[in-house]
Amino acid sequence: MYTLFIDTHSNKITIVLYKENKVIIKKEVETLQNQSITTMPVLIEVLKKEGIEVEELNEILIVNGPGSFTGVRIGVTIAKTLAYTLQIPIKTLSSLLIKAVSFSHEKVRIVEREKNGVFLGTFDKENNLVDNYSYVSNKEYETDENDVEDIEIDYEKIIEFSKSLEAINPHSVKPLYVKLIEVQK
Amino acid sequence: MKDVYILGIESSCDETSMAIVKNGSVVESFVVLTQMDTHAEYGGVVPEIASRMHTENITLVLEETLKKSSIKIEEIDAIAVTYAPGLLGSLLVGVEFAKTLSLVYKKPLIAVHHTIGHIYANALDNKLTFPLLALVVSGGHTDLILMEDDYKFKILGSTLDDAIGESYDKVARVLGLKYPGGPNVEKLATLGTPSYPMPKPVQDGSYRFSFSGLKSAVINLVHNETQRGNEIRKEDLACSFQTTAIEEVTRKVELALKNMDVKELIIAGGVASSGYLREKIKKVADKYQVHLSIPDKKYCTDNAAMIGAAAYPLFKQNKFADFTLNASSQSSIVEYQ
Repeated sequence: MYTLFIDTHSNKITIVLYKENKVIIKKEVETLQNQSITTMPVLIEVLKKEGIEVEELNEILIVNGPGSFTGVRIGVTIAKTLAYTLQIPIKTLSSLLIKAVSFSHEKVRIVEREKNGVFLGTFDKENNLVDNYSYVSNKEYETDENDVEDIEIDYEKIIEFSKSLEAINPHSVKPLYVKLIEVQK
Repeated sequence: MKDVYILGIESSCDETSMAIVKNGSVVESFVVLTQMDTHAEYGGVVPEIASRMHTENITLVLEETLKKSSIKIEEIDAIAVTYAPGLLGSLLVGVEFAKTLSLVYKKPLIAVHHTIGHIYANALDNKLTFPLLALVVSGGHTDLILMEDDYKFKILGSTLDDAIGESYDKVARVLGLKYPGGPNVEKLATLGTPSYPMPKPVQDGSYRFSFSGLKSAVINLVHNETQRGNEIRKEDLACSFQTTAIEEVTRKVELALKNMDVKELIIAGGVASSGYLREKIKKVADKYQVHLSIPDKKYCTDNAAMIGAAAYPLFKQNKFADFTLNASSQSSIVEYQ
């Protein structure tokens, strides 16, 4: 049983291949241009390394944002197209949730930084989102001493947590933007 | 020879479209999902919203395209996608989608230039006869191109400033017409007479176009008349603008037909769906006894059938893209020469 994890929400693209719920390949690539040139070749490299064909994948985990709008769209487009064409389950995780599930905590506010501001999300002990995600500009952001920003992602914990998530119809998988664009204000 | 089926994908602006095209000419299945109503609320295409809608709809459009087709996706010979030019975020959705299909179904990937797609819309239910003269008129382009053969382009002249479709949209805005501006200007123009004096664009005997002076003249006229408290005869102004804009285009086409020996004249791009342009170009083509080809209206605006058609010559030449394919907002067709 192979699960493919895709995260393109920032300049660091991460592709993880799990076999029987264990990480067997993890590939991280920093990209200077957009995520388009890098993501698919890295994904293919990961499959090749394990010596499997794409149709041997059994499940997709996709980080659907928030983060770089273009980056997230690239990952989500690839992930939902894989799930739709291969007819396999797909689950989404937010860029803040993967941080929250990576360590034990009581109620915690997770911070995901981007160029002009931060995305915020508060999670309880069981990693349920307490309040809706929000975005504040760097100027408006008031640091709380309990905020957690830099966390090493624990991919074993992520797949374990993903078992509690429901699979989504691939057509309905979409990015989580959080931040409003000019015309929405 | 075995029939070649290509799945075309187009997402360069506000239409998510897919089509299955046989031998670059016969459309087996065709779907266009337009976002026009959404963007109309904002008075024009909002790039970020366009990209979002492509991401949300792309697998649904594939499902619909396959549902309408007697050809299964496994039987398709190649996946073709618009990679440039257009809205970068929107193009990227199509490009990543196409790469994924190419990976899953193990089909070669073909990168198609959007403008070339518009030209090859004339190959649908038709055969291009070379050498030909192509007039590409859209919101982003005004080009007069000589084609000696498939993918042999020589740009005779382009616009020095605004594209013709862009000037239509700007005039529409100043006249208070709704998006999409072009068709609404044309509709209004049919009710008027060309009674406002308009400046004649480039008159230097070249094939270059210019529309910004004409556009500014309309804007200034509206501004000045409003300031004087005079009412503007909108239909007459729309008609005056359109008459001059289309005259500018037909004049250059006529000059090219006079100077060059071509077998066919083709029109391509969104503005090619203008009835007024079609009528005027037809007169020029008849005068020089050149065969005129204009795509069906549904293949004039952005669509994927034209992408499938334009991909066919590349398929025959084994010109395939790899998984590092990137989208680009700007790109000239000259790169193909």
